[in-house]
Amino acid sequence: MSALGLFQLVALFLLAVGLFGLIWRRTLVGMLISLELMVNGAGLSIVAAGQLTAGDAIIGQLSTLFVMGLAAAEATLILAIILVVFKRFKGAQTMDVSELRG
Amino acid sequence: MEILAKTAFAFYALIICGGSIMAVMSKSLVRALIGLIAVMMALAGMYLLLAAPFIAFMQILIYVGGVSVLIFFAIMLTRASPDGDEAQGNSLRKGILALFAMLVPAAVLSVIIVRNPEKGLAVPVEVATAALGKGMLEVYLLPFEIISVILFAAMAGAVLVAWQKRGKQ
Repeated sequence: MSALGLFQLVALFLLAVGLFGLIWRRTLVGMLISLELMVNGAGLSIVAAGQLTAGDAIIGQLSTLFVMGLAAAEATLILAIILVVFKRFKGAQTMDVSELRG
Repeated sequence: MEILAKTAFAFYALIICGGSIMAVMSKSLVRALIGLIAVMMALAGMYLLLAAPFIAFMQILIYVGGVSVLIFFAIMLTRASPDGDEAQGNSLRKGILALFAMLVPAAVLSVIIVRNPEKGLAVPVEVATAALGKGMLEVYLLPFEIISVILFAAMAGAVLVAWQKRGKQ
């Protein structure tokens, strides 16, 4: 197995564990942690593809930087949403907010 | 050198495996966060192995320094106790569904990776940090600007969402 394949397998492992956690976790914060795992795996996959193939390495590294920026933005937004949910429902469990009311 | 690189890769992969399982299965959310931080640090090591030191430092700066503190605030503000929400066991049905959600994409993608072995380069390409900065300000200027606008919009949106007017409870 080439080095590229090994790095991609590690990234795939992170994606799989993140997907498992997204379903398994009962609280919104736990889901956020699983989400970060998946985003990290995506970054590793992109950098490995850029560095270990004949493609442009600069675009690989820059896209991972942009992914990191997006992840930071998304984490702040999710923190705000968790705060609002916690204030309104007195808990941050996913089952608390399973109903929509128009 | 080859053996050294493989040893380092195995070490980081081990930390990633252990840390991610801890991040997902741990009963206490603070321990889950510690597992996530371990995964992020090991990923920075992987970036160093890939000859991308700038990305490795950014990984530590943004994820370990920023995002993990944000998640810690989220844990603190929702008062997650170790015997609270996460400690109650999950139903068997949910476990089976979660395993299914994990195994289907993992099986498909791993078969694709194993069946189509891409040769790849033996030694990663080295990119100077100056070239990255040049790329950010010349060819990829538009994505760079869009990211800054998105960051601003997210910050402003977060303040707007979490803001509560005085007296309105």
